[in-house]
Amino acid sequence: MNPAAQSFVQEARDILEDLEGVLLELEADPTNPKRVDAVFRALHTLKGSGAMFGFVTLSAFTHHFENAYDRIREGKATVTPRLIELSLASSDHLERMLDAGPDEGGKPVQDPATAELVKQIEMLETAGPAAPAAAPKAERYTIVFKPDAAALKNGMRPDLILAELGELGEATVVALTDAVPGLRDLDPAICHIAWQVELETIAGREAIDDVFIFASDWDIEIRRIEETEDAAKAAPAAEAAAPAEAPARPEAPKAQAAPKDEAPKAQKTDSVRVQSHRLDELMDQLGELVIAQARLNRIADELGDAGLGSTAEEIERLVTGLRDTTLSIRMLPVELVFGKFRRVVRDLSTELGKTVTLETRGGETEVDKNVIDSLTEPLVHIIRNSIDHGIESPEARRASGKADQARVVLHARQSGGEVLISISDDGAGLDAEAIRTRGIERGLIAADADLPEDQLFGLIFEPGFSTAKTLSSVSGRGVGMDAVRRVIEDLRGSVDVRSQKGAGTEVTLRLPLTLAIIDGLLVKVGGAPFVLPLSSVEECVELPPADDVRTSGRSILRIRNELVPFLSLDRLFGFERADSEDRRVVVTSVEGRRMGLVVDEVIGQYQTVIKPLSVYHHGIEGLAGSTILGDGSVALILDAAAIVRRAVSAQRVAA
Amino acid sequence: MTDSGRDIDSDEMVLTFSLDGETFAIPVSHVNEIIDPLPVTRAPCADPFAPGLVNVRGAIAPFVDLRQRLGMPPAVLGETSRVLVLDLMVGGESTKVAMLADDVDDITDTRMADLEAVPELGVRWPVHLIRGVAKKNDTLVIVLDVEPAFAPTSHK
Repeated sequence: MNPAAQSFVQEARDILEDLEGVLLELEADPTNPKRVDAVFRALHTLKGSGAMFGFVTLSAFTHHFENAYDRIREGKATVTPRLIELSLASSDHLERMLDAGPDEGGKPVQDPATAELVKQIEMLETAGPAAPAAAPKAERYTIVFKPDAAALKNGMRPDLILAELGELGEATVVALTDAVPGLRDLDPAICHIAWQVELETIAGREAIDDVFIFASDWDIEIRRIEETEDAAKAAPAAEAAAPAEAPARPEAPKAQAAPKDEAPKAQKTDSVRVQSHRLDELMDQLGELVIAQARLNRIADELGDAGLGSTAEEIERLVTGLRDTTLSIRMLPVELVFGKFRRVVRDLSTELGKTVTLETRGGETEVDKNVIDSLTEPLVHIIRNSIDHGIESPEARRASGKADQARVVLHARQSGGEVLISISDDGAGLDAEAIRTRGIERGLIAADADLPEDQLFGLIFEPGFSTAKTLSSVSGRGVGMDAVRRVIEDLRGSVDVRSQKGAGTEVTLRLPLTLAIIDGLLVKVGGAPFVLPLSSVEECVELPPADDVRTSGRSILRIRNELVPFLSLDRLFGFERADSEDRRVVVTSVEGRRMGLVVDEVIGQYQTVIKPLSVYHHGIEGLAGSTILGDGSVALILDAAAIVRRAVSAQRVAA
Repeated sequence: MTDSGRDIDSDEMVLTFSLDGETFAIPVSHVNEIIDPLPVTRAPCADPFAPGLVNVRGAIAPFVDLRQRLGMPPAVLGETSRVLVLDLMVGGESTKVAMLADDVDDITDTRMADLEAVPELGVRWPVHLIRGVAKKNDTLVIVLDVEPAFAPTSHK
């Protein structure tokens, strides 16, 4: 595929993705003319550029699809659920056509799937409620156009334009070859020919302008021949008129096309498409730069040279700025993933005979691109599980006094250094007893084990675990939730489940905000350096010696009239206690819960490149990664959230 | 590396090193470099076989303790102590691993066909870590089976 066609495919996929969203919105709000226009515009762009880049079948098919919406725009038809259904199917079909690539030889291919969809769309038209308006009267136009010099090099196809004009009605084409130079001066890559087309059509002026939508900078002249004029006189008259009107005329198609093109054009100038591996490379190099910069700082400190010191500081400031910008390039709103699920929920609920609405909140929350990319699959699994197992049939819901329409809520929010994404439903909830029974059957828990509910629910993430009695096409095979956990853990995140029988289930994914570089607080515990992500640190306070040596049990500190529990990292890590007079409490905040972590020494703020841990260490709870410090030593990055969670669950077990 | 390359008839170059007075060997194809001892950052709550991490030229590598796995007393750093940097497949991932040896001896050719099995009762080391025993100038050379010898301690 040539690069132009590739970029069309890319663009077309984006259009289809948006289209799906708009269609679903239209389903909810069928009378909104703005949405109908949006659908029409999307289809129109697809049709035009599809034909331009050799996707003839796609273009021909889109034409029918587009017609259906044109009728709605004109008030000849209304949006029906059947139309939305067909539109979604058509949009899927277009996606497949894009996968298939451009048509060989520029001829539309007839395949049964396309024909069937076209038939259905056409049936919709004849079944339309409003009677078709009287056929518009045919109008005659003279069209003269000359492709610009670079047109052929840019992959434009005048032959397709002629074919498209031919589709509008009765056309007579004359090639104007006056400008063709002698063979010696002929540059074969330039189009020297202009065309004059006499067209009799009922489609109207706008349809003609639309043919030239991607050729608006050509020399184009479109002139309607007045009905009063004699057809015989029309042609010479048009020719005569051409030079005089030439300066004004070319503006006309542009002006016509402008409102349609405005939105996509604005986007084009605002954003640049970059392959993501280039961003990854940028990030890697930035990581090296951050480490080198830490080394520079240390050397500057050692030498104590004022000039070097201030330069090192300036470089540090620049590196920080560069880092923030690079990271922000990689951040994308979660909405990109959420958007895909409206369709999933719609299709699944139809298939399973349940009515489910999807609500999304916090779609603007931004997450690193790599996280976004890995999120779709786990979310699909969880949502499927929710709808298939969690949500009851409408009858069962009525029996338990719930509304027929069930709700699935996707909610993203940022909390400290983490992004939390929760998927909750108001279904039947998890059956703790069934899970316990199954867990015992599978030998995952002892028969007499008295597990708290959250640990019991954790069993659903075990490979092959399912309590479903019947398999459905969507879920119940016990494949899935373990995959969810694996993907999330690979992202240095975690998953947990909360559920209340009869009231619903909530699965929460915790994900790190970024995968690469963080601001950290460098501390020492038991003589070893550790980095705490600054995003989870609230403040550092001194540890009163009296509180330090207390051995009575759980330790609590009073900070500005608030009681904050704390724990010693050295004890937690099993390190011997270092002799330090500088012991501090680093107060962290995780999900609104404050917890102090006692460290031997706080060294300072530190920009850190997160390097993943090897197979030997990545299973250690409380560690998020490792990094190299300015002096070349290795420091471990702590996961404050995991440490606090561990402390909380340890306390619960003890209680 | 998996041991699919364990061609019975082939000769293999091995690096011999000593641990607690015994001579061990691993195929040189796994040895990336030999460097002087460097500071180890210990990891809390870690597998005792992999107690820490080291910085090998800007790359962070886990530091493993083969002595622990072989039930030997902890190493004391000496004049001849060296760190072997190995390229291994661990748990399906290609990993750079650092380990301490008391001394690095030699690179020799070992005919894999001549390896003798380890008698169960003759050693206190877990025999599945050992591929076989070879003789070289009257010393016993214990050739390690790389994959089990460096596998993370399983918790199950």
